[in-house]
Amino acid sequence: MDSFEFLLILRIALVVILYLAILQIVVVARRELRQAPAFVAGGTRPQSVVGHLLVLDKGSATNIRIGQRLDIEPITTIGRAPTNTIVLDSKYVSVVHVRIIYRDRTLWVEDAGATNKAKLEGQDVVQPIPVRPDNILQVGDVRLRFTL
Amino acid sequence: MIKRTRYRWTELWLLLMPALFLLIGLVALAVVKTQPVTIDQKSLPWQDALTPVLGLIGALVGAHIVLNIIAPDADQTLLPIAGLLSSIGVLEATRLGPDLGQQSLGAKQLVYVIIGLVLCVATVWATQQLRWLQRYPYIWAAVGIALVGVTLAHAHSLSTDAPGRDVLTIGSGALSFQPSELLKICLVVFFASYLTDNREVLALGGTRLGPIVFPPVRQLGPLLVMLGLALLIFVGVHELGLAILIFGLFLAMLYTSTNRLSYVVSGLIAFAGFSYIFYQVFSYARVRVDIVAHAFDNINIATNQGFQIVQGLIAFGTGGLFGVGLGLGDPTFVPASTTDYIAASFAEEFGFAGLLALIGLFMLLVYRGMMIAARSSETFNQLMAIGLTSIFALQTLVILAGNLKLLPLTGVPLPFVAYGGSSLVANFIIIGLLLRLSQSDNLRRQREELKQEKQDLKRAASPTQQLGS
Repeated sequence: MDSFEFLLILRIALVVILYLAILQIVVVARRELRQAPAFVAGGTRPQSVVGHLLVLDKGSATNIRIGQRLDIEPITTIGRAPTNTIVLDSKYVSVVHVRIIYRDRTLWVEDAGATNKAKLEGQDVVQPIPVRPDNILQVGDVRLRFTL
Repeated sequence: MIKRTRYRWTELWLLLMPALFLLIGLVALAVVKTQPVTIDQKSLPWQDALTPVLGLIGALVGAHIVLNIIAPDADQTLLPIAGLLSSIGVLEATRLGPDLGQQSLGAKQLVYVIIGLVLCVATVWATQQLRWLQRYPYIWAAVGIALVGVTLAHAHSLSTDAPGRDVLTIGSGALSFQPSELLKICLVVFFASYLTDNREVLALGGTRLGPIVFPPVRQLGPLLVMLGLALLIFVGVHELGLAILIFGLFLAMLYTSTNRLSYVVSGLIAFAGFSYIFYQVFSYARVRVDIVAHAFDNINIATNQGFQIVQGLIAFGTGGLFGVGLGLGDPTFVPASTTDYIAASFAEEFGFAGLLALIGLFMLLVYRGMMIAARSSETFNQLMAIGLTSIFALQTLVILAGNLKLLPLTGVPLPFVAYGGSSLVANFIIIGLLLRLSQSDNLRRQREELKQEKQDLKRAASPTQQLGS
């Protein structure tokens, strides 16, 4: 074997190693993706979910769609700020509009400083109100229904 | 019970790749370069190539061992990717040095890599409490302003005719240093910690005028001041690449934190406007664009107009699909073949296939950085990871596009591969920060899983208690 052939083999080997490295790293990344628990956008893992809100009417909010099921956590805030548990980017929704709290095995809706108060079954939410299944919550121009 | 941290076997396994690459490269160089191949090429005694190769393998394994002790849960692919990229850099420096009359270029690059690895590990160790990075944003702003000031003062003291790349370097020889490299990291930390505090206000917008929501001036102010100061470097030292880099990472972080496309759109419009103004006002900007637009029309070796770009393109083309082979090309025809045009030097001898692999490695680096951001639960950590990763992404994009005659050429170093100490050290510090971010996040996730498991166990053990309450 003359040196030219030897160099050809070395040349191929160098490029092959680069691709082998890429392959190895992709394999590692894939394995990690499989193992890791599902993560939602924003990176926080969902806490225990105590119920759902079904979107009936999305009003002028653009980040939700009709028929979408939103998770209710033990303490859930609904509002326009990105820090809320449920974000509704409608201009009729206050920064932090309404709070849903799971207490004594019941969901409670309470006001969180909304400009125009949220309505539960047509009733203004001023003081905490217990929720019954299939009650309809109006937040600004968004209408949501409580489901399991 | 939960799996406790094991030895970082994955990292060690992946580090085999840079080691193999270096060793095969060493053999190839030893076969080719013991005798000069062409008149332009100088011989390289194989002993001279041995030091950088074995030294780098040792340094990477050393960093791996230290990481096992101080950050066992950190991401295991970052060090191998950075290691492979810097071993390409060291091998290129070793190979190109003799042709440029600098026999010990590879050894010098090795020293920079070792300093970088030491600082990388030191960064991981020093940031155990990430809070102190986050708590005082204005300290980082002050450091950034100081770095800008130092650079501008230095640039002012030099003659204005000096080429842009040298203006950023302070000091000479072994102690030379580019403050602008550290400025990038300072800016990312400042933006991340400031945006963490103010993202809600920025996301919601300030005053409204019909359908248009204007950003709140008070919250945007400090950001714009820092951005403006950083961009002053562009006006001061005529460095277009740095300006694109800083502006790009600013937009990336602002968009990530507020999720408002309008910031990006208005930012890009502002960028286009400024570019036009700069093009009209500053002659050097016109010259830079002109060189790219008419590279083949008037190649002038004396003024370096077009010559570098055309030589670079010829080097890319000479490589063909699979390259001419390590040590068998003549990449030193291109001016700045070890720094700005390292990609052309690499592509000539490794070909299109090698260049694609190089780009793939950079994509993986960016992917891992973005994954760290996506998995992180704290806003500050996410923004840090996004900003730091954007530095790699934008630098690679700007310099590769410059080399391929798609953008005006700027003196941005190709991360880890280009010869030069400041950039290498700064890049390794970034890797250190990313390692720390992933370590703290993985630890938090492990704690959460442990807690969840304990709760589940408790619930399973005492079902009656639940009913009784």
